Amino acid sequence: MFKKGYIRVLVLVFIFIGIVSFLWWFTYDPVSDFTTSVPGLDNRPAKNPESDEIVNIGERFDEYLSLTSSLTGKWTRFRGADFDNISKQDISLIDNWGDGPKIQWTVNLGEGHAAPVIYNGKVYFLDYNEAKKRDALRCFSLETGEELWRRSYNVHIKRNHGMSRTVPAINDNYLVTIGPRCHVMCTDPNTGEFLWGIDLVKEYNTEVPFWYTGQCPMIDGDLAIIAPGGSSLIIAVDLATGKVVWETPNPDKWNMSHSSIMPMTLKGKKMYVYAAVGGICGISAEGNDKGKILWKTIEFSPTVIAPSPLILDNGKIFMTAGYGAGAILFEVKENNEIYSVEVMQKYKPIDGMASEQQTPIYYNGFMFSVLPKDAGGMRNQFVCCNPNDCQNILWTSGKEDRFGLGPYAIADGKFFILNDDGTMTIAKASTEKFIFLDKAKILDGMDAWGPLAFADGYLIMRDSKTMVCLNIKKN
Amino acid sequence: MAKKEKKKKHNRRHFIDRSLRISIGLGLAGLGSFLIKKSISKEYVWQLDPEKCIQCGRCATSCVLTPSAVKCFHVYDMCGYCDLCGGYFRPETKKLTTAAENQLCPTSAIVRKFVEEPFFEYDIVEELCNGCGKCVKGCGAFGNGSLQLQVNHRLCVNCNECAIARDCPADAYQRVPMDDPYTFSGYRNKENKS
Repeated sequence: MFKKGYIRVLVLVFIFIGIVSFLWWFTYDPVSDFTTSVPGLDNRPAKNPESDEIVNIGERFDEYLSLTSSLTGKWTRFRGADFDNISKQDISLIDNWGDGPKIQWTVNLGEGHAAPVIYNGKVYFLDYNEAKKRDALRCFSLETGEELWRRSYNVHIKRNHGMSRTVPAINDNYLVTIGPRCHVMCTDPNTGEFLWGIDLVKEYNTEVPFWYTGQCPMIDGDLAIIAPGGSSLIIAVDLATGKVVWETPNPDKWNMSHSSIMPMTLKGKKMYVYAAVGGICGISAEGNDKGKILWKTIEFSPTVIAPSPLILDNGKIFMTAGYGAGAILFEVKENNEIYSVEVMQKYKPIDGMASEQQTPIYYNGFMFSVLPKDAGGMRNQFVCCNPNDCQNILWTSGKEDRFGLGPYAIADGKFFILNDDGTMTIAKASTEKFIFLDKAKILDGMDAWGPLAFADGYLIMRDSKTMVCLNIKKN
Repeated sequence: MAKKEKKKKHNRRHFIDRSLRISIGLGLAGLGSFLIKKSISKEYVWQLDPEKCIQCGRCATSCVLTPSAVKCFHVYDMCGYCDLCGGYFRPETKKLTTAAENQLCPTSAIVRKFVEEPFFEYDIVEELCNGCGKCVKGCGAFGNGSLQLQVNHRLCVNCNECAIARDCPADAYQRVPMDDPYTFSGYRNKENKS
């Protein structure tokens, strides 16, 4: 009797334990302490309060000196007149630094990477005045470094890996700039008179790129060609009136990149090539279809694009970007006015020619670039390849001669390669091998990334805070 | 005879007394020399050199501890506080949000906090970090290199032969003095070391 009762109690206890265990198992959540990573955890506000700032483009003018110069040299825009970063002026330049660089003049700048244009003895660049918080278009004498005038406007820019970072575009009568927060300004380069301005953020809903605007404006005939990347992908503005002549719609909602518009002619058809954040496109630049998208591709669409498209021969285009994006080589084909894109090569930076910030140079049938930091063993080396096979590096500058994110250009058959720390290297512009000539530390250097400008035997370069003009004429 | 006994008695007491004194003296001298030796001699611990580190990922898997004693440290002095952080976001991320699919860290060990437009602060959650070094690689390749791997000496058991050092392909592990156990690269101030 006692034994039966004992067993019954034992069974009931087991049943009770089983039910409790089941309920615990059923209700237990093993991931209850997990948190879900969803958008918005960083508490970023929906709207940037700075976007409400009222900016009166070109509101201030200060004149200091007048100048008449006999110089006729020109460096009219980003990468020079032919968009190739090659100086064509027939002036013999130095092969070595001799007793040291001949510094013609020096000027202190707001932190950034903006670079100048040079036109008939005058130097123009868009600086940022950190003390007064103004974008300032400054005009200097090429020979003396004296400031002639400045046209400025108040705009609040925070330090963010530099502030200014664009190169103006200039012709006889007009000078166009784009400021860090997408303010386009057109002035008379002879007098500094303000002609017109466009706030791309307000008028085109442009999203200001990371680290501010890097796009350099283009002047093509009577038009300024700008890529807002907001409600319109590209606009053409009449230089005389500031009126928008045509605009390209932006159906894919591509955004403005740091890349600049490059011209290209394919089978007699002139077009503008632009690498936006979202994709690369070709826009008709002439005829009845001006502003029409002729072709586009989303094969290469990194989040950040600093280099500009490198236009090669026969419709081939090389495009590269940093942050692990690598590069793409593609060909634009035309058949009965129908355009198509064929990808020839697409690879990561460790597998071929690439660049993080500067646009490679196409010279004598070969391409030249400084490889990015994520290019493996050849990182930061100056390299050469045949544009038919960008994954086959023909030669490099070697382990001893590495460079950074600084600019490089060709003048008088020589490469001028600027390192981040302000060291300028001269090398023979050979397609056979890297022929080092000389190097000199010119700037104190930090982030010496601004593009170079050449004219009349002078070279203008900068680091993040200082610009210098060097006399590089060969005696 | 009596004189001899007196001398013997005295000697025994004297012997015990002297023995005790000598023992205490030797003990104190030994303790003193041990303490002096400890204070002047350096003990060494394992640490990795960020300049040599190639972020191969073996720190996460070779350590005798699970998760590894190697953690990511943030050298705030070097950080650019970027919106697009190469250490936080996967390459080619389209929208810079805290969504899981955008994050490079496999364990969500980096917390992104808005400071003011366009700056963000990035903090490491030590408990979640497994020392894989993916963020360190991203930060070094595209940023200032402010994220750095280090052996966390609050966790490290200081094995005689460090298992990670044995596996490290870059020979980045070295013995460093215990009183200065961190070897950050760049310009992190000593007082900021954690």
